[in-house]
Amino acid sequence: MNSLRLIPLVVERDVRILFSDSFLVGIMFANFAIDLFVTAATFGRLIPSGNYFLYIAPGSNFITASVAAFQSGRDVWREKYIKDLTSYLLSLPAPRPVFAFSRIVGGVVRSLIATFPGTLVISYLYGITFDPRIFAAFMIVGLFSLGIVGLSITVSSFASSIEMFVTVRSAIQLYLSFLSTLFYPATVFPSILTPLVASNPMTWAVEAFRSLPQAHGLLGPVSVLVVPSLAFALLGTVCYLWYAKL
Amino acid sequence: MSSSSTLVNASSKATPSAGPSLMAQMALRDISVLFRTPWIIISRSLAFIIQLFVFAALISQLVNVPGLDFFQYYAVGSVVGTVGSIAFIIGYDIFEEAEEGVLDYLLTLPVSRRQFIIGRALGGAVRAMVYATPMFVIVAVLERFTNPLSLAVAFFDLFLLAFGITGLSITMAVSVRSANRFDVVLALTELAIARASTALYPIAYMPVYVAALAPFSPVSFAADSARAALVGSSLDLLSLAGLVAFVVIFLGLGAAFYFRKLEGGVYA
Repeated sequence: MNSLRLIPLVVERDVRILFSDSFLVGIMFANFAIDLFVTAATFGRLIPSGNYFLYIAPGSNFITASVAAFQSGRDVWREKYIKDLTSYLLSLPAPRPVFAFSRIVGGVVRSLIATFPGTLVISYLYGITFDPRIFAAFMIVGLFSLGIVGLSITVSSFASSIEMFVTVRSAIQLYLSFLSTLFYPATVFPSILTPLVASNPMTWAVEAFRSLPQAHGLLGPVSVLVVPSLAFALLGTVCYLWYAKL
Repeated sequence: MSSSSTLVNASSKATPSAGPSLMAQMALRDISVLFRTPWIIISRSLAFIIQLFVFAALISQLVNVPGLDFFQYYAVGSVVGTVGSIAFIIGYDIFEEAEEGVLDYLLTLPVSRRQFIIGRALGGAVRAMVYATPMFVIVAVLERFTNPLSLAVAFFDLFLLAFGITGLSITMAVSVRSANRFDVVLALTELAIARASTALYPIAYMPVYVAALAPFSPVSFAADSARAALVGSSLDLLSLAGLVAFVVIFLGLGAAFYFRKLEGGVYA
């Protein structure tokens, strides 16, 4: 069997794991709804200059994407330490690099599914629902998720306890949320924090999404995320291979 | 994540009149359990520091509402939110104990069920306060809150919130059966209670559907009462009464649910 044909099977397994408790998918959407319709809506009224609600709206969806992406890393961690499944998974007839790559793809697909309603809502708010640019919206969410899935699998490879995994996840989520242009423009940051903000994947993702209504092509806003997301995905793949060594 | 040495030492000398002492031992055990898990303390402390010194500092440059010092408003609210967040952790501990079988051991100790349950709730609240006190001090120093009576009232508000949330968290821990589901439900409840409250933003700026609910959030009761004491040097009796009602209801519910599960429920 061509090993590449195994990729959809591994991805399907990951998606089935996501839906093994479909309640969780609903909760993720509820999380998104609270972020958007409570927090973003209130800050939109507190900061009337420009349209602050629309400014921070994409961030709610990217936060949900990062939560879903980190859930993949958590599942990988549970497979090793709780379910003791690593040996079984490595006995499957898929070369390890293909298997590791498939897990990353599986995480991205799961994240896209979890954020599907959110991406539609934000696209509607941005007026691109019935426009080809909606594909760019999904591509941006997918590329962002690719990077974060890579990061989450990297963390799961090194975390020896679930507390450590959760702590590192929280720290990364704090970095993604508060040290990016999700809530405020880059100009309000002190210069010492500028490099951290400029190198934050959340900054690239929200800026790419915000540029969609003015974009004339699909590739412009998407291209900025390609290289860093692929780099994080590669890191996640390498770490997964290292972690899966018996 | 469980530790029982403190309790074993105490219970070996237990007598029927040793009730308060045993409850205190139960509470001490929960406090030591939290401080043996530095990861939780690190992540919550980091969240508080970044929220206060990055988010609040930057976003208050954008908020331009006459008569509202948003940094001060957010600083008090973030301490209230942190107390709530730490108080929720007791639910994780109770769920984990049941999963790992530690609960069975705890139930063999010569501690009455009532002492056991009240001790757990007290421990959850006290450890939240122990943890949040340095943050409270940081905010008090930053905002120059110096009136001892105001500080005492605000501290009491935080303790009541922690006590009530502990009850809520225990209620949820013994009501949800799946580990994954429990994790997410607790996180969502924590998010909903904190965001749909006046801890982080004034009610006047909330959309109507949130403004209709926010006055009934326990976090709003605590935040409003603490702000009235610290900023206005006054007593917000309505919020205080709401907070007391929240504590009574959820401690009662938590105790009732926990008691029912201990006596032949899902963990039997």
